Amino acid sequence: MELTPSFDWTGSVGTVTLGATAADGGTRSIAYRIGGGTTLPLLPGGNPYHAPLVAFEICDDPRIWPSIALKACGDITQDIAAWARTAETAYRADIVRLYLTSTRQRNFSDIASLKKTVEAVLAATKLPVIIEGSNEPAIDSEVFLACGEAGQGERLLLGTAEAGRYRSIAAAALAYNHAVIAQSPIDINLAKQLNILMREIGVPRDHIVIDPYTGALGYGFEYSFSAMERIRFAALKGDTDLAMPMICSAIDSLNIKEVRDAGPAQQDAMAVRWETYAGISAVAAGAEIICVRHPESVVLMKEAIANLTLPKGGA
Amino acid sequence: MALKALDIYKILPKKNCKECGDPTCLTFAMKLAAGKGDITLCPHLDEQARNLLGASTRPPIRLVRIGVGERALAVGEETVLYRHDKTFYHPPGILFRIEDTLPEAEIAAIVRRVRTDRVTRVGMDLAVNGIAVVNRSGQPEQFARAVGIVEENADLPLVLMTADQKALSAALVHCGTYRPLIHAATKDNFREMCAIAKQHGCPLAVVARGTDDLAALAASCAKEGVADLVLDPSPQTLGEYVPAATAIRQLAITRTAPDLGYPVFLDATAFSPEDAAIVLGIVKYASVIVTSPLSPASTTAALTLRQNIYTDPQKPIQMNPGIYRIGNPGKDAPVFMTVNFSLTYFTLEGYLEASRTPCFMLLVDTEGLSVLTAVASGKLNETLVRDSIKKFNLESEVSHRKLIIPGYASPLSGRIEEVTGWKVLVGPRDAAEVGEFIEQVWKKEQAAGP
Ligand code: B12
Ligand code: SF4
Repeated sequence: MELTPSFDWTGSVGTVTLGATAADGGTRSIAYRIGGGTTLPLLPGGNPYHAPLVAFEICDDPRIWPSIALKACGDITQDIAAWARTAETAYRADIVRLYLTSTRQRNFSDIASLKKTVEAVLAATKLPVIIEGSNEPAIDSEVFLACGEAGQGERLLLGTAEAGRYRSIAAAALAYNHAVIAQSPIDINLAKQLNILMREIGVPRDHIVIDPYTGALGYGFEYSFSAMERIRFAALKGDTDLAMPMICSAIDSLNIKEVRDAGPAQQDAMAVRWETYAGISAVAAGAEIICVRHPESVVLMKEAIANLTLPKGGA
Repeated sequence: MALKALDIYKILPKKNCKECGDPTCLTFAMKLAAGKGDITLCPHLDEQARNLLGASTRPPIRLVRIGVGERALAVGEETVLYRHDKTFYHPPGILFRIEDTLPEAEIAAIVRRVRTDRVTRVGMDLAVNGIAVVNRSGQPEQFARAVGIVEENADLPLVLMTADQKALSAALVHCGTYRPLIHAATKDNFREMCAIAKQHGCPLAVVARGTDDLAALAASCAKEGVADLVLDPSPQTLGEYVPAATAIRQLAITRTAPDLGYPVFLDATAFSPEDAAIVLGIVKYASVIVTSPLSPASTTAALTLRQNIYTDPQKPIQMNPGIYRIGNPGKDAPVFMTVNFSLTYFTLEGYLEASRTPCFMLLVDTEGLSVLTAVASGKLNETLVRDSIKKFNLESEVSHRKLIIPGYASPLSGRIEEVTGWKVLVGPRDAAEVGEFIEQVWKKEQAAGP
């Protein structure tokens, strides 16, 4: 018998399904079942149903988007449908994550436009979709209900619930059967607490994806990495309130000093390294959805994940 | 299983003679129990006690030194599977790989890069550690020539990658006394490789697939008298690396397989994308990582990730609170208040230096928390600011009473004014805009008088 480590895990990560195909009443070309790991990530049994997924992030008001991402994507950033379609067909992401950044304008009230945007994105891509709604508690309820309704039947992943504001998003998710991202600031206890709150108002465990918050590489990433490892560890030790799959989005990556100061010749390379070094590390720590904003990061992440999860003996 | 300090103490001679370098047998026992002592330092142990203690008190993963002098690399001696359980101690060496078929100028250029290039982050100089030379040519002379060129250009830790003993001996003429890592012994050649490693006092990498074979080979080499070993599980795919390295680390630190108690070697150049292999090596247990000569982007990201993963999770890197000077500030120079988290300090300092305005930085003690984190947790508050102004005697440094606070601390501005009596100017959120702020806000403020 080969010397093998024994961990004596007693628990496992729960599963969450993203996207609905025609068979399940949706229009997506594929649905993903993530989670389910019975041991550490990247070990046999660590990612049993699906290899980690790469989500490409787009937004409906690019004015607050990192200029490096806008430059890399070009004119399509002015047309949300084209951007979403390109994410699927050219960048080859697994998921499209739409940020409704238009809601962040002062006194935003055009809820009807959000519905149209969500519908346009759902029509433009057949991939499962993540929708990031408002950042403003006062309009949360309307925004999330509009998103939830526009995506009815599609099994969206809605973001982002936080300790102070999770009711509206949970209500929308429950009403239209979507899953929810639950974010807490790099702290396993806060993550657990939020999951308990969500459970108490009726959000089932298999509808929650944990976002432990990801500091950019060199800017707090070490804390996020360990938070993810601890959450995974707790799940395997049997804590069902932490036994959900995780999402990682190191959103500050394209704004940090090293990337800004890299000079024109190296800037894209630096941006892509900054996103993917955090992303691949997060996969090793247990994240199952990695979000990026630079198109080349999708390519590098996908190649890494494909080669990481090759069946044994493959070349 | 590891022994407790008291169990060890019972076996020690209890002479308290200090010859081990410790004041008493008990303190020596405590060190051994923590995996930090060396049992051979006590001269009064009999054979039996030495054997008994030897296996259970040496660190679960051996510390291996590669190279000599200033840039020498010490790897191994790790004790946990997760950094949050304690910390990771010895960052992996990253070594650029060159083939002996490259022209001299190219080899020299790569070596010079490794010798001089630095990435400065959080006040620390981060660098690639050394060079791995591969015997691509298959010619002993060519291999020796390449190693000679490396040696002429720098004094760096080396990995000699060849299975050819002739090539190895030829290369060791140039670097034999500098502790290069020899890569690698296999089950077929280990006797000869061990003989060479012993002769030159070099650490030796062993290659085998599977933990059983790796443990057996390491045991054989140890028996041949080579104590400084490094394990190369030689994964065939990227996906095989993490399971192999995890198995080695787990079996070693639990002392389930003491023969696996050595640092792990990873040749990242064998995989695509190489960046992914480098990342996995850094976060999952590699101690020696061979890479191709990386682009500036990959180098910076790899060194930053390594710094992140190998910082102690219990203590953020922090500065001493107090007053810091940029240039030679006069009594009318601006004062920028910030926190004592090193990353914050160095980020702000960089932009202040770039602005070429002599000024003061007042670092308040947030116990190493960043601005936003300190504001969110309440650690940064008006009382702390008031007490810091007093404690560091800011009033005698400047003639004005104006304090520039970080944009993210703006909710505190009113309260700080109230308790300090100083006028508070809210600076930008992003330190990159501080130069502009000095031009547009501070200069006007200064003209308006104190
Ligand atoms: C890493 C991190 C942590 C680490 C701590 C790291 C540390 N040593 O501080 C840990 C995991 C411990 C942590 C804990 C918490 N965190 Co935290 N954390 C972060 C993270 C990801 C990065 C922080 C960082 O390193 N920033 C980099 C440094 C350089 O930034 P900085 O200090 O702000 O400096 C910049 C500017 O302020 C400016 N600047 C600095 N000084 C000055 C001075 C002047 C005069 C000027 C003009 C400018 C200026 O220059 C710098 C560069 O631009 C941030 C997210 C983020 N993007 O900031 C969240 C974040 C700050 N954390 C947050 C929270 C809520 C917390 C907790 C309170 C959670 C909790 N309830 O436990 C705790 C508090 C800690 C405690 N309990 O004691 C929130 C804050 C929310 C808010 N907007 O108020 C954030 C924003 C995450 C989020 N979105 O939820 N955190
Ligand atoms: S050398 Fe041995 S006997 Fe002397 S103090 Fe140390 S442990 Fe005790």
